[in-house]
Amino acid sequence: MRRFLAIRFLQALVALLAITLIVFGLTHLTGSPVDALLPDDASQAQIESLIRHWGLDRPLHEQYLAFLGNALQGDLGVSLKWRGYTAMEVVLQRLPATLKLGGLSVLLSIVVAIPLGVVAARHRGTMVDKSANVVALLGQSLPQFWLGIMLIWIFAVGLGWFPTSGQGGLPHMILPAIAMASFQVAALARLTRSAMLDSLRSEYVKLARLKGVPEYRIVWKHALRNAAIVPLTYFGLLAGSLLTGSVVIESVFSWPGTGLLSIEAIRGRDYPVVQAVVILFAVVFLLINYVVDALYALVDPRIRRA
Amino acid sequence: MNYARTSKLRVLLAVAGAALLAAAASAPVQAAGKVVLALDPPTADTNLFWNGTGERLPCFQALVGHDPITGKYNNSELAEEWSANEEFTEWTFRLKKNAEFHFGWGRVTAADVVHSYELTTGPDSTINSIEHLRAASVEALDDHTVVFRFETARTDYAFQHAGRGSMVVYSKAQFDKEGVDGYVSKPAGTAAYQYVERQPGAGVTFERVPDHWQGAVPDFEMLELRWIPEPATKLALLLAGEAHISDLPREIQADALAAGKAIVKSKNPAMSTGAIFNGMYGKTGDPAYRADLPWSDIRVREAMNRALNREEMIEILYGGRGEPVPSWLMDSRNEGYVPELKERFEGMYGYDPERARELLADAGYPDAFPDPTIPIVSSVLSGNPEFGTMAELLQVYFEAVGLQTEIREMDWATLGNLGRSREAYLISPVRNAPIRPTEAALVNFHTVRGTRYGGYESDMSEGLADKLEQTINPQERSRIAQEAFTYLFEQYADMPLAAVFAELTVDPTVVKDWTFPGVSTNSVSHYHLIAAAE
Repeated sequence: MRRFLAIRFLQALVALLAITLIVFGLTHLTGSPVDALLPDDASQAQIESLIRHWGLDRPLHEQYLAFLGNALQGDLGVSLKWRGYTAMEVVLQRLPATLKLGGLSVLLSIVVAIPLGVVAARHRGTMVDKSANVVALLGQSLPQFWLGIMLIWIFAVGLGWFPTSGQGGLPHMILPAIAMASFQVAALARLTRSAMLDSLRSEYVKLARLKGVPEYRIVWKHALRNAAIVPLTYFGLLAGSLLTGSVVIESVFSWPGTGLLSIEAIRGRDYPVVQAVVILFAVVFLLINYVVDALYALVDPRIRRA
Repeated sequence: MNYARTSKLRVLLAVAGAALLAAAASAPVQAAGKVVLALDPPTADTNLFWNGTGERLPCFQALVGHDPITGKYNNSELAEEWSANEEFTEWTFRLKKNAEFHFGWGRVTAADVVHSYELTTGPDSTINSIEHLRAASVEALDDHTVVFRFETARTDYAFQHAGRGSMVVYSKAQFDKEGVDGYVSKPAGTAAYQYVERQPGAGVTFERVPDHWQGAVPDFEMLELRWIPEPATKLALLLAGEAHISDLPREIQADALAAGKAIVKSKNPAMSTGAIFNGMYGKTGDPAYRADLPWSDIRVREAMNRALNREEMIEILYGGRGEPVPSWLMDSRNEGYVPELKERFEGMYGYDPERARELLADAGYPDAFPDPTIPIVSSVLSGNPEFGTMAELLQVYFEAVGLQTEIREMDWATLGNLGRSREAYLISPVRNAPIRPTEAALVNFHTVRGTRYGGYESDMSEGLADKLEQTINPQERSRIAQEAFTYLFEQYADMPLAAVFAELTVDPTVVKDWTFPGVSTNSVSHYHLIAAAE
C-alpha cells in the first residue's frame, strides 16, 4: 500500500511539473503582457523599460527556471494587473468566494441529483423516469452561460427574487449555484439511476421484498447504500469541474472568485496570476485524484497489488 | 408511515423551503443615497494611479481641471494657475493654498506634487505617456509653487497634468507614514468623493467628503463603481434597479431605452473612430516597408474609402448618433483644424462604389499584387465593443467593390504586439479617445517613434511632426498642423468615420443628469456632478 501511494505521489509531482511547463509556455506564447497592460500611447522607451523591469527580456528557459525556483518557495511572483499584491495573494483573496459557490453547488447537486436518480430508477419507464431523463438531458446540453443569463432574467429582473450578480449573502449565491450545478445534477442523476437499476435488480433486493421489508426501506436504505459507490466516485471529478466551471459562471454573475480572476488575468496577460490560478487548480485536481486513488486502493486490493 | 406518504411530505417540505428561501432573497438591494455604476472592469484594478492606464478614480485630482461643459482647461483642480516661459522649457504651477487631502492628511503642498511626480515616473510606472510627463528637473520653489524644466520646448505640457494626463496628486505625508501600502489600503485624494473600500475584482466604493475644501456637495452620499464584464449582466443590473448608470454597449442600449432607461452623453465628442492602414512603414529606408501591399497604392486606399457607406455605418454602429468626420485625428477644439477638409470630404471620400471599382481596375487589382487579400482585424477594445461589427461592415463594403478580404480575429494586445514588431500588415478599426492634442496625435500615429497602433508613415509625416514639436509660435504651429492634416487627407492615409459622444445608460428615476466633458482617459469625469432625480 505504501509503495502504491509513493508511486502515485511521484506521478502527481511529475504531472505538476509538466503542468507548470505547459502553463508557462502557453501564457508566454500569447504575447507580452506589456501590450495588454500599457496604454495605447506608451512609447517604445516605456515599453522597453517595463520589459526589463519585469525580466521579460531574459531567455524563456531562464524565466522558467527562475519561476520554478521561486514557485518551490511559494513565490509565484507579483501580479502585473493587481498592483501591490503578489500573485498568490490575489488568488487566495478570491479563492474563498469560489469555494463558497462551489460548495453550495455541490450541495445542490447532491440534494437534487441523488433523489432524482433514485426516483427515476424506482419508477423506470414511467413519466417520472422520462421527466428525470429530460431534466438530465437539459442539464447536460444547456450551455451554462445561457442558463445563467436566463436565470438572471427570470428570477432577478423578472421576479425580483434574487440579486442579479455580485457577491453578498446566500441570495447572491442561489442563481450562480443553480447554473453551476445544472450539469452536475444531470450527470449525477444519470449515474445514480443507472447504479440503482443494477441494485434494484440484485438478489438481495428480491430477498428483502420476499421478506416483506417496506419498499421505501429497500430503495432508500439497502439499494441506495450499495448503489452510492458509483456516484461517490464521481465526486472527485465533480469537485474539479466546479473549479473549471466557475470560469463561465463567475463571469456571467460577476462573482469575484478565481474563475473570473483567471479570465481577467488572461485578458490582461497577467502571467503570474494565470500561473498561480492554474497551478492551484492543478494541485487541487491532483490532490483529489490522489485521495480517490488511495481510497480505491484501500477498498479494492486488486488495485494496490497491480 | 408508508413510502407514498413519506414522499408527499418531502415534496411539501421542499416547496416550503424554496418559498422561505425566495422570501429571504427578495430583500431590497438598493441603499438610499447611493449611486451604483456598472462598468467594464478596468485594465488595472488598483489604487496606484501610476500602475494603471490612466483611468482616474473619483477620489483623485490632478493639477489642471476641465470645464465640465466645454472641456477646456480650468483651475477647478489643484493648481490655481500655471504658465510657461517664452521658450516653453519651463512650466510653473501655483497650487491652491486651501486644498486638503482626505482623512486628515493635511494641506496639499508642492512637496506632494514632486513626490507624486517621482512615483509616476518611477521604473514600475505603466501610466500613459510618462515620456511626455518626464521633465529634466522638478523643483518645489516654495510650499505652493512647482516648476518643471525641460531641455526642449513643451508647448502642451498642461495636457500631461489634466484629465487625460499622466499624474494625480498623492499625499506625501501618508506615504512617509504608511508607505505604498497606505495607498493600496486607503489612498487619500483631494476630490469631492473619498475612498471607502475596494473589493478586488468586484469594484470600488467612495463616499461624499464632509466639508470638502472646494465646498463641493455631490447629490449622492455614496458612489460605487461595480465591475461587470458581461453586457447582458450589466443590463440586468440596470433593469433590476441594482445599478443606476452603466456603460452598456450601444447594441443593447435599445433594450434599456425600451424599459424606460435614458441616455446621458458627454458634452463633447469623446472619441473619433475609423479604420487605419497599418503597416504603412513608408519612411525612406524603413526595412519594414512593403510596396507590394495592395493599400500601399493610393488608388486602392481611395477605392477602399469610396467603398464605405459611412452614413449606413454610423446608423448601424452608433444608432445614427455620430458625426461624420474628415479626419479621425483632427478636431475643431485643437490646433491645426482645417474646415475645408469637411467640405472636400464628400468629393474625395464619398460613397461611390462605381468609382471604387474603376480605381481598383486602374491599380490592376487583384493581379498586380502578389497577395491581394485585405486582412481586417476583428477585435474588442474596452469602450469600443462596436469594433467587431465595424470589421464585418468593412468586409461587406470592400467585397461589394471587388476587394478580396479576410477577417482576422485577435485581441487588441496582439495587434499592439504586431505593431511593436513592425509586422502589422493589416487594416484595423481605431479610435482617438479621448481626442488627443494635435501634436500627440500626429506623433503617435504617423511617425516611427509613435505608438504600436500606428498608421501611415512617410518622410513627409515624420518631417511635419518633427517641425511641429520644435515650433513654439502658435500661428506657425497651427500652419504646420494644418499642412499635416491636409497632406494626410490627400494621401488617403486612413478611413475616418465618426466623432462619437461617450454615452451612459441611466435609470432616470435615480439619476437626472451627469455633466462631463468627455475629455478624460475613460471618457467620464466630474463624478460630483452626477445629479440625482428629485
